[in-house]
Amino acid sequence: MRQSKFYLLFLSCFLCYGVHAQRTVTGSVIDEDGDQLIGVNIVIQGTAIGTTTDIDGTYSISVPDENAVLEFTYIGYATRSISVGSDNVIDVILALDAEVLQEVVVSALGFKERKDEMGSTFSTVNPDDITRSGEAMLLNSLGAKASNVQISRTNGDPGAGTIIRIRGANTISGSSNPLIILDGVPISNSTIYGGGNDITGGRTGGTSQQSRLNDINPNDIESVQILKGASAAALWGSRAANGVVVITTKDGNAGEPKISFKSTLSFDEVHERYPMQTVYGQGRSGSYGATRPEAWGDYIPDRSGGADVVDQSGEVFIADDGTEYYPIDHRNSKVNYVDSNWDAVFQTGSFWQNDLSISGGTDRATYFFSLGRLDQDGIIRNSDYDRTNIRLNNRFILNDWLSLATKAGYTNSNSNRIQQSSNTAGLLLGLLRTPPDFDISDYKGTYIDGDGEVFPERHRAYRRYLGQNSNPIYNNPLWTIFEQTAESALNRFLVSAELNITPTQWLQFTLRGGVDNYEDKRVYHFPIGSAGDRNPGIFNEDLIGEKQVNFSAIGKANFDLTSAISLTATAGWNINDQQRRVNTAEIEGFLVNSKKQTSDLNTAKENSSVENSKRFIRSNRGFGILDFDLYDQLFVSLSGALEAASSVKGTFFYPAVDAAWQFTRTVVNPTDAFSFGKIRGSWGKVGVQPLAHRFQTLSESGFTYSTYSDPLGISFFGGGFRLDDDRGNPNLEPEIKTEWEVGLDLRFLQDNLSLSMTYYQNKIKGLLFGVELTPSSGFDTEYTNAGSMENTGFELETDYAIIRRGDFDVSLYGNWSTNDNTVTDLKGTETIDLTPGASVSSRAIQGFPLGVLYGTGSQTDANGNFILDENGFPKLTLSPHVLGDPNPDWRAGFGVRASWKSLSLNILFEHSHGADFSPRTQWVLRRFGTTEETTGRLTLSQDLTNFAGDLIPAGTTVRGNIDDFGAGPVLLDETWYRTGIGGGFGDNQAYNFSIADATFTRFKELSISYVLDTPGLLSKTKLSSIILTATGRNLFLWDDLKGVDPEVNQVGVDNGFGLDYFTNPSTRSFLFSLIVNY
Amino acid sequence: MLFVVGLCSTACEDVVDGINDNPNKITSDDIDPQLFLTGAMLANSVAQAGHLNRIAGMWSGQLVGLASLYSNIYGYSISTAESVSTWSRVYIGTITNVRHVRTQLPSDGLIQGITKVLEAHGVGTLASLCGDVPYSEINQAEIEDPRFDDQVSVFNSLIVLLEDAASDLSSANSRITTFDIYFEGDADKWQEVANTLIARYRMHMGDYSGAYAAAQNGISSPDGSMKYIPRGDAALTEGDKNLFWEILEGSRTGDIGTGNSYLMQLVNDSTDVYRGNAKTDESARAGYYVIDESGGRANLGIIEQFEPHKLVSYEENLLILAEAGARSSGFDTGLGHLNELRAYLNTGDFLNANFIDQAYLYEAYETADFESGGMENIDGIATDRALLREIIEERYVTGFGTFMPFDDARRVRSGDGDIQVPFPTNGGGQYPERLPYSDDELNANANAPSEDPGIFTKTMVNQ
Repeated sequence: MRQSKFYLLFLSCFLCYGVHAQRTVTGSVIDEDGDQLIGVNIVIQGTAIGTTTDIDGTYSISVPDENAVLEFTYIGYATRSISVGSDNVIDVILALDAEVLQEVVVSALGFKERKDEMGSTFSTVNPDDITRSGEAMLLNSLGAKASNVQISRTNGDPGAGTIIRIRGANTISGSSNPLIILDGVPISNSTIYGGGNDITGGRTGGTSQQSRLNDINPNDIESVQILKGASAAALWGSRAANGVVVITTKDGNAGEPKISFKSTLSFDEVHERYPMQTVYGQGRSGSYGATRPEAWGDYIPDRSGGADVVDQSGEVFIADDGTEYYPIDHRNSKVNYVDSNWDAVFQTGSFWQNDLSISGGTDRATYFFSLGRLDQDGIIRNSDYDRTNIRLNNRFILNDWLSLATKAGYTNSNSNRIQQSSNTAGLLLGLLRTPPDFDISDYKGTYIDGDGEVFPERHRAYRRYLGQNSNPIYNNPLWTIFEQTAESALNRFLVSAELNITPTQWLQFTLRGGVDNYEDKRVYHFPIGSAGDRNPGIFNEDLIGEKQVNFSAIGKANFDLTSAISLTATAGWNINDQQRRVNTAEIEGFLVNSKKQTSDLNTAKENSSVENSKRFIRSNRGFGILDFDLYDQLFVSLSGALEAASSVKGTFFYPAVDAAWQFTRTVVNPTDAFSFGKIRGSWGKVGVQPLAHRFQTLSESGFTYSTYSDPLGISFFGGGFRLDDDRGNPNLEPEIKTEWEVGLDLRFLQDNLSLSMTYYQNKIKGLLFGVELTPSSGFDTEYTNAGSMENTGFELETDYAIIRRGDFDVSLYGNWSTNDNTVTDLKGTETIDLTPGASVSSRAIQGFPLGVLYGTGSQTDANGNFILDENGFPKLTLSPHVLGDPNPDWRAGFGVRASWKSLSLNILFEHSHGADFSPRTQWVLRRFGTTEETTGRLTLSQDLTNFAGDLIPAGTTVRGNIDDFGAGPVLLDETWYRTGIGGGFGDNQAYNFSIADATFTRFKELSISYVLDTPGLLSKTKLSSIILTATGRNLFLWDDLKGVDPEVNQVGVDNGFGLDYFTNPSTRSFLFSLIVNY
Repeated sequence: MLFVVGLCSTACEDVVDGINDNPNKITSDDIDPQLFLTGAMLANSVAQAGHLNRIAGMWSGQLVGLASLYSNIYGYSISTAESVSTWSRVYIGTITNVRHVRTQLPSDGLIQGITKVLEAHGVGTLASLCGDVPYSEINQAEIEDPRFDDQVSVFNSLIVLLEDAASDLSSANSRITTFDIYFEGDADKWQEVANTLIARYRMHMGDYSGAYAAAQNGISSPDGSMKYIPRGDAALTEGDKNLFWEILEGSRTGDIGTGNSYLMQLVNDSTDVYRGNAKTDESARAGYYVIDESGGRANLGIIEQFEPHKLVSYEENLLILAEAGARSSGFDTGLGHLNELRAYLNTGDFLNANFIDQAYLYEAYETADFESGGMENIDGIATDRALLREIIEERYVTGFGTFMPFDDARRVRSGDGDIQVPFPTNGGGQYPERLPYSDDELNANANAPSEDPGIFTKTMVNQ
């Protein structure tokens, strides 16, 4: 066919020369920006005579007569037809195809589809929104921009991981991360905690870890599509239950090289600070105590002032700068160090990101090259993150039936993180527990004891103010920052290639392959003298590597079944192989007190340990899609994927069906007021894969048997093995989520107002977790498909261009969503702890939403009134129960986009409503007496009883607050906060008082940019434009919680949430960027 | 589309086959099955000599719960949580592993015998303590909730298993193996233990002639006793030491000891109930038996750091011969075996080095000692009854540290109240008749009783 076309062309050209009355028309073709378009096809309508524009964007064509019509076509631009008439010069401006620009979405398979023809929900985040936010982390830039897509940073550390949750929770024990498809290929977005976190309490302590998606430079992104529903994602089978995020990186466009340079400078500060008290000193019961953990000591204003009385006859601590500290006999100083201690730890963080991109090409080959560099200093001193990104994307049209695209990205990042959370070597734990009268500045030095023995390199912290003991109990925060290190160095390659074969117009084959390979090396170093188990020194190296190889072959054919019905049939096969290797090597207990990262710190065998763990997952699936287009208004799609995965027994089939009907084509005639209407519905199944390597019952060693405090360890008896008491399960199936949704997409006022609504319901069956077995069956637990869960929700997205007057545009946009989750069945398992180790935990409990907060609380009667003890205080419940629900009732994002001439403005707010949160930092600090809420100083006007039952007579001046639990006023003093049930840790606390409403409104983004493109400047500098942008991010937060951002999460990127425990704080940022386009 | 789907259904699974084999942990197929034995024996040791053993001691006048949990349990406040760990040690720690070894080495007579003895020992202890327990359906992949078998049928099944074991062992060769922490692979000793256990279970059921017959082939020498033997470095306080010593040296200091228990009064010559006489001096044993609650290191006797804990002993076998012999074959048989035990006691070998130098005396009794007015029958009861009473008291004293006193108390109380050891209750006037079921088993097993029958309900064999 191709050949015959050529012959025809040849023949017609030959014939042309034989005919007179021919004349030549010339001209140029440019786009709306005035750039020449190269390779525009120009054909005389109704003939095969044609030409293309040359490298200058000009053309020349012979036309038979003045009735000839020239048709100008160019990829991505609207086709134009122009009658020749009598003109010999015809210059043409081609406009970008509006449909291509605004209405195209990228499907799960990586194909561009018309959004108006889709039967399922597609949320699109456009690249301007991503880059304008100035977020260096791609994931964070998606926040609040799509309905029912919850993006929460786990804390404000540079490079910290981000939770992304689409339409609520879909799994209990699996990963809640969506599948990320970059340029048609799945890539890793894992957050691996590794062996280094185990030193300090796993996920509840340690350092925050990164989300791998943040390795990608936001400036390279062309589009982000979020496929929320099961039907859109079903082709990815058992990896799609949490939704699919489809990311496409930029391509070059034909034309002169476009060179763009962008520089962004950001200043970050601590978003919120805990209100601390400044008037009560270290100690207990109103008396100063120099080694006491708490600040329930003396009233500082009552001190005499001046220097403390010290004993210079014996012990001394000589700080590195020579300052000497002696045992305190009497405290006189009135100085408080709350602010100076804070300032010694925190700073104004900053980052500087520079991006250079060069793109261009011809009609046959395009390229996009970018180089990006980010250097960030965190708000915590000595925490940093840097990232270098290189990307080269090429596209070649080899001939008219073959094209090739290759995309390659490289990322290198390095960071130092600061220990945090439930961890005595963590930052805020040490800082916020430090009493106001302790100066943290001299944290290191030499201790000399009463006998004159010298101990160098001692750690001075508030509980050991002379460094008199090797273990300071809690770290001095400056030791945490400057002496401990937690470095990470990452190298990652993301490479993909796609070959498109189009043998005929109606048939297309796509072969697509990709590799995602990274290695993350993390080094943790705790010098001798760090608090807790790390006291003798720990050096740990984690080497984490992941490789994902993916290949797809897809065939796609278009048929016209009748004149009104057409069918696109797609069939394909995909194989995906994931390998993960984690190696951990550790030296515990140093012979040499050195900060060198070497195994020579202690070469004794018994002080070193090596562990490795591997994970292999492979899946492959065959899939097919039938897309029917009926009368250009009803679009029906049937799809199915049959998948076999290594961690699943047998094969599973994931069907989906969706339909969209543009009723404005027939039933209602589109008018200016109501311009478009589409009703859509879909149904589909998706899954969550079981954890890998759980088929077999394994053997384990190193176990201990005990009945009651009487352990016997196998390692003492010559070693040996036992069958793992967690029974293997060779019959594991994926968790299956079945979802249906219905929706309406409407556009009014000549498409100026768009509205999209979706209601969905899903049921997830076969939730996997470790079910407790009957002991006499021979095993403790079995990981099996046992639970079920439901979600229902409603989503609304809208965009309204209120004003559109040439150079003055104003648009309002917003999204609103609800998601109701219920765990419907746990097969008799009472609760599943999602945050082990926390006294208030986030759990799965039958009949409640996933993640409910759980712990001991106060006893109440049938009416919800407290059952009080004889002193008028609440009584503890005997067992833990549900305390709150950290899932919001609804969430919303809303904003304004405006532009006037060269100036544009964007405002974005985010709101979350009705979620509960347990700010456990604050709760625990009540015991320590360092926060403002424990600083009340009252002279009692009546006799009051405290928690201990003591009657405090009227007229007494006390430290505390007055409350009434239902039996009249009582005094909340030290006996309530420190020794009672009103502050502290463990299971015996009235944690109902630690639950707060975390409703918040966040002023997420304010950005103003100015485009400088005056012809004068541009002709002088040969630049095409200069864009200046100022952005404020996370500017204000309106909420009832003090000192903590309710979106932080103690356990990092995990299924448990709603908890904070000395988690590093979040940030507020001010950014300035300059873009120069050449 | 159908074509592709069809194509995949045949080929897809091949592509992913075998990938899910765990690359990190060793599977049981890769390991010499004998390496599973030590763990099973540790689980058995801790089940037999651990928490329930101490509770049985408190409920038979031997130990006193002084503080915390043990003081509650001493006063008969006990929840089903207390049996959780022991059930798990028996059903999961022991049975799962010995059955794995047994299926892996079907023709190894020594392994077959050892694993059957361990299984019978674990389940038999639970059956005697709790009554009806799961057995016939346990440890089968297809049965999630094994049914509870009645106590007598469990004992009968275990006796069959032990007879099998004895037969396996009789034809097996011994071989030195360090995996066997009880007997280092001595088939003869295992065979004797099998027979003593048969005798023990027949005693529980009141089948005295059967018990006597089995005990004939039971443990025949002191070093044939099955013991948990501590080892290791004296500086380490847990993991390989005497279990009672571990709890007192660790977090349970002050919670439990012998105090002024009835047992202590029996062996203490300053009390009214002192059992010594012209032929018997318990001084050394009284010192050896003291368990000082103030800490592990305060103890030099029966729970000293390295003191072995007897699980199935030579003494028990002699005392079965004595009681069962007296009951089934008559006075002389019984007396003969009692004197055999006394002769052994009189060697002092049962004491450790710290007490061997203290006074002890166990001269042989004569018939006259049990006749009315004799030194063991001052209250003038029937001669046979007097002998039996002395044997039961000897079982009570010698059996310290094992379940024998608790088992005997319940058995003797139900038919021979006149000759029982008259230790008082710990309050309330009632004696406990059983230990509770495991909370986990009650919750998870659909075939378990809806609630525990309670500790004052007699088990089947003691009705």
